[in-house]
Amino acid sequence: MRMALWCVLAPVMLTIVTGAVPATAATFVVDDGASAPQESTALLRWRRFAPSRANDSNTLEGALAVVVRLNLAPWMHRSGRVFLALPEQGTASVRVSWTTQGRLLSGSITPGNRVLVYAGPITTALLEETLTLQIEADGSRLPNMQRLKFHFEIDID
Amino acid sequence: MRATPAGSTGIVTAGALVAFLACGQAARAFTVNITAANPKAIYLQVGVGTFTGGNYNAGGTPGNNTTINTVSVGVPAASVGTGVAQAMTTNSAQAISFYDGFTFCNTPAQLYIGGFYRNTTNTGAATVTATSPANLINGTGDTIPFTQIRWTSSGNGDAGAQPFPAGTFVGGVQTIGTISRNQWAESCHTFSYANTSIRPAGTYTGRVTYTLSSP
Repeated sequence: MRMALWCVLAPVMLTIVTGAVPATAATFVVDDGASAPQESTALLRWRRFAPSRANDSNTLEGALAVVVRLNLAPWMHRSGRVFLALPEQGTASVRVSWTTQGRLLSGSITPGNRVLVYAGPITTALLEETLTLQIEADGSRLPNMQRLKFHFEIDID
Repeated sequence: MRATPAGSTGIVTAGALVAFLACGQAARAFTVNITAANPKAIYLQVGVGTFTGGNYNAGGTPGNNTTINTVSVGVPAASVGTGVAQAMTTNSAQAISFYDGFTFCNTPAQLYIGGFYRNTTNTGAATVTATSPANLINGTGDTIPFTQIRWTSSGNGDAGAQPFPAGTFVGGVQTIGTISRNQWAESCHTFSYANTSIRPAGTYTGRVTYTLSSP
């Protein structure tokens, strides 16, 4: 019941706060709730099927496509920079690189960082793009299942 | 859609942010699950083996080889039971390591034994065991204890301890060595017959089965 009350109040409080934020250099989380990986799970395979003598070839790798849909409507006709962020995951070390169809920039990211994927004027309310993720993980530390939670942020100039 | 400041400009802002995210966080992230398609793999090769696509360091992968190699010695009549150990030889021609193609063993004096153990989680090392019968036996039922057969361990270019060290068959199940997680291990075994007692003439045979077990 208390949670429900928060949910009602939050937008109201946020409206007040948003009005108090300076018009420059603000960072916002982008609504990408309509984004969806094309498969629920990326199956990673050993880059080298056999290990080395020195226990130094334990990379698992795999690929997965994600259709991302960014709701940029709140920042239409403004200029900003969009970042893909990957918070710390706390398990196996992971590196994710991606390619795009050109609407966003390609790049790579490790947990705890964010990487620029767009800079310039916001001219579309809904930006749709397909990211082809290439995922590398430390196979010596990967639990049965690990979740990588990405999100997008926007810095408004 | 409401824009959510990711930073805070004051106490009130922070409070509002927490409240908003608690309700709407699911719409602001996409999740990719990752898991290993083949989290565990083991490979054991005793004698000849098969690797396809080149050696390990060229991206090769191991195959199945059902060959059963023999290790044997013919003891001259004048030498039977003298206590002078008789060097045994193998019909295995596996001298190179599939790791890198290096000539690791010297055939026919040595028998290659090697393998690897893959696992994404740390549950300990894999273990190689050998199961030998109590005796070698000839066609008329005479026997030689398997404990008469022992081996030394080495490898060309190796200076340290061998993963599958020297030993003697026990006529039962015994540990030959271990393979640490996500490692390749290999040795070359040089067998000998202790020859400590006089035995009737004949061809004595017995089969040893090597097994690699992962935790």
